[in-house]
Amino acid sequence: MANEKVDVVVVGSGASGSVYAAVMAKAGKKVVVLDNGPQWQLSDLISSDIWGRRLKPAGGPILLGGKHPFAYANQAAWAVGGAALHYFAQFPRYLPTDFKMKSEHNRGHDWPIAYEDVAPFYDAVAADIGVSGDAKAEEKWRPPGKPYPMPPMKTFPAGEVWLKGAEANGIRFVPMANGMNSTEFKGRAACIYDGWCAVGCPIGALANPVVTYLGEARKAGAEVRALSNVTRVLTNEAGTRATGVEYYDAQKQRQVQDASVVVLAAWSAQNPRILLNSATDKHPKGLANSNGLVGKFMMTHHIAGTWALFDKDITPHLGTVGAQFMSYDRYPKTSYPNAFGSSFMSAGASHKMSDYAQARGDLFGAELAAYMKKAVRGLTHLTIFGEDLPNIENRIELVGDKDEFGMPMARLIHSFDDDAVALWNANFEQGLKIAKATDAKEAWPGKGPVMPTSHLHGGAIMGTDSSNSVTNSFGQTHEIANLWMAGPCIFPTEGASNPTYTIFAVSLRGAENLAKTWGSVAG
Amino acid sequence: MYDIERRALIKGAGLGALAFTVGGVEVMLTPRQAHAQNVPLRTLTADQAATLDAVGETLVPGAKAAGIANFVDQQISGPAEEALLQARILNVRPPFANFYRAALGAIDGAASKSKGRKFAELSADEQHDFISLMRQNKIENWQGPPGPFIFGVLRSDAVDVVYNTVEGYAALGVPYMPHIAPTKKW
Repeated sequence: MANEKVDVVVVGSGASGSVYAAVMAKAGKKVVVLDNGPQWQLSDLISSDIWGRRLKPAGGPILLGGKHPFAYANQAAWAVGGAALHYFAQFPRYLPTDFKMKSEHNRGHDWPIAYEDVAPFYDAVAADIGVSGDAKAEEKWRPPGKPYPMPPMKTFPAGEVWLKGAEANGIRFVPMANGMNSTEFKGRAACIYDGWCAVGCPIGALANPVVTYLGEARKAGAEVRALSNVTRVLTNEAGTRATGVEYYDAQKQRQVQDASVVVLAAWSAQNPRILLNSATDKHPKGLANSNGLVGKFMMTHHIAGTWALFDKDITPHLGTVGAQFMSYDRYPKTSYPNAFGSSFMSAGASHKMSDYAQARGDLFGAELAAYMKKAVRGLTHLTIFGEDLPNIENRIELVGDKDEFGMPMARLIHSFDDDAVALWNANFEQGLKIAKATDAKEAWPGKGPVMPTSHLHGGAIMGTDSSNSVTNSFGQTHEIANLWMAGPCIFPTEGASNPTYTIFAVSLRGAENLAKTWGSVAG
Repeated sequence: MYDIERRALIKGAGLGALAFTVGGVEVMLTPRQAHAQNVPLRTLTADQAATLDAVGETLVPGAKAAGIANFVDQQISGPAEEALLQARILNVRPPFANFYRAALGAIDGAASKSKGRKFAELSADEQHDFISLMRQNKIENWQGPPGPFIFGVLRSDAVDVVYNTVEGYAALGVPYMPHIAPTKKW
């Protein structure tokens, strides 16, 4: 079935898609947003680790491979609002060094833009959706910008106990920047610190897309269609223009949505899958893929977590799941002698029962029961994310198995290189040193046989031209002017800090450019 | 609202309990209530449920009475997108029933081979030792999903029914502090 043609169809309603929808709808364009997940209401966001799992895919269409498979389902979403409906809303930025890895270290890629190109959009996003933090304190690591609109979030003992250990190791902690309200902001409530952020914040204190950009988009007339699975981008006969998308609606009926511009904002795994599945005789390798770079350079952060157990009540159930403190003191890419890449530290996230149990995943029976009694009073965590370098072998590729709509599933193949493994190990050593310099009675690394992963980037990276990339710095594909990519898929390197603030900022930059250049793009 | 959304929401947000079928009628019960009322199983066999009860109890004391078998049985008897299992987060490919059948079969198969009895028939000490070896992937000629992975998934299910409920928080003296509370202590 064909629907009335619109100006923009946005595929995905998470951090990137919601920004495009808001900007374009406010620019007067007719916008339709398609998302494969259901439209949960805020009242559906039950405070429970068990019920919160509904926000994630059940057997998503991405199969996993490689030596270090990516934790796909844990990070992905099945929801309008995307993964940003259940994200931690930690809002650190990337640093200037992240944009010029190739120039500075002859490794990885340079971005075709600099930190200074993105910085105004960090400030704009903060003003749009609310960020709590201490910008001045962060400026020991980054160029100055505007202050955040809200003061830092409250801190609790589970975060504060790390300060002594950090100081003893020369690590400076500052308040975490959070996409959460420390005070009421634009009619949205202030946080009440009950620690249930990661199963969805029903009071709107956490800046998820539903209560921010997607809400603005709807107010400006954008239509959001839930349970709509996009399978292909459609092109004209000459293969020179995108004409819309094919999707399957909530009743599993095939639909076509014609549009002047197509924006793929369905995350780093699904975006390449759609492009590869959109092959035609004019684009036999998939859309925007003449150079074979679609689906390549998939990157994810590795996690070195350190647990510390105190013999006093540090109220670990209180606070925000976005940690209380952060540090870029091991962010320089050559911080450790035998490793390469940035590391980003955070400490003092709130914990629930699943967290306590997973912190000692080896225990069971009476030992587990005894440990749980201590953990709920005294357990806290230090997280160090480490950077993965772009490697062309880490990729998305279509496989023979098909989903219920007849669309080939994809395999995400990912392995860390030796530098990443060395960085992971160095970060464990660093974390343990910090923990041992606190007053904790016990400390241990959260290290098992699997390298934990978080965040996904790459798959349609930006660059200077089609010799090295899929899109330009705004997300416009080199090959098809009215086909745009949005989200972390366009990041050519991944830094080490939580990426969503940068996703919002880079998407806002791209969306505003699309609005400005509409005449030439839409044709 | 779309049918699939209605189902997911009705069985989730509006009601904290799960839908069990008793005497042909759908009733809302917690897994603990379902266990206490001996609610009929829909997917697991009685033998599989006995194995799951025994493994669950070995992993987390209290899991059997908290209804681990009824919980898992109910969760694997409906559409995968409605399932609340940790298996979902651990990238187990639906239908989830296949994984549980294979996992419980692997445990009983290995127990029968090494001890001549099913897992539920072993002594408590033997069960503890078996689980310890399974966690470390040290059981020879293991047939089925990897032992450490089974350990992780079933342990998480046991943690869910014992600790991850309002009752479980109360038992450890931790304030639950919900924005939106699961009803019926679940």
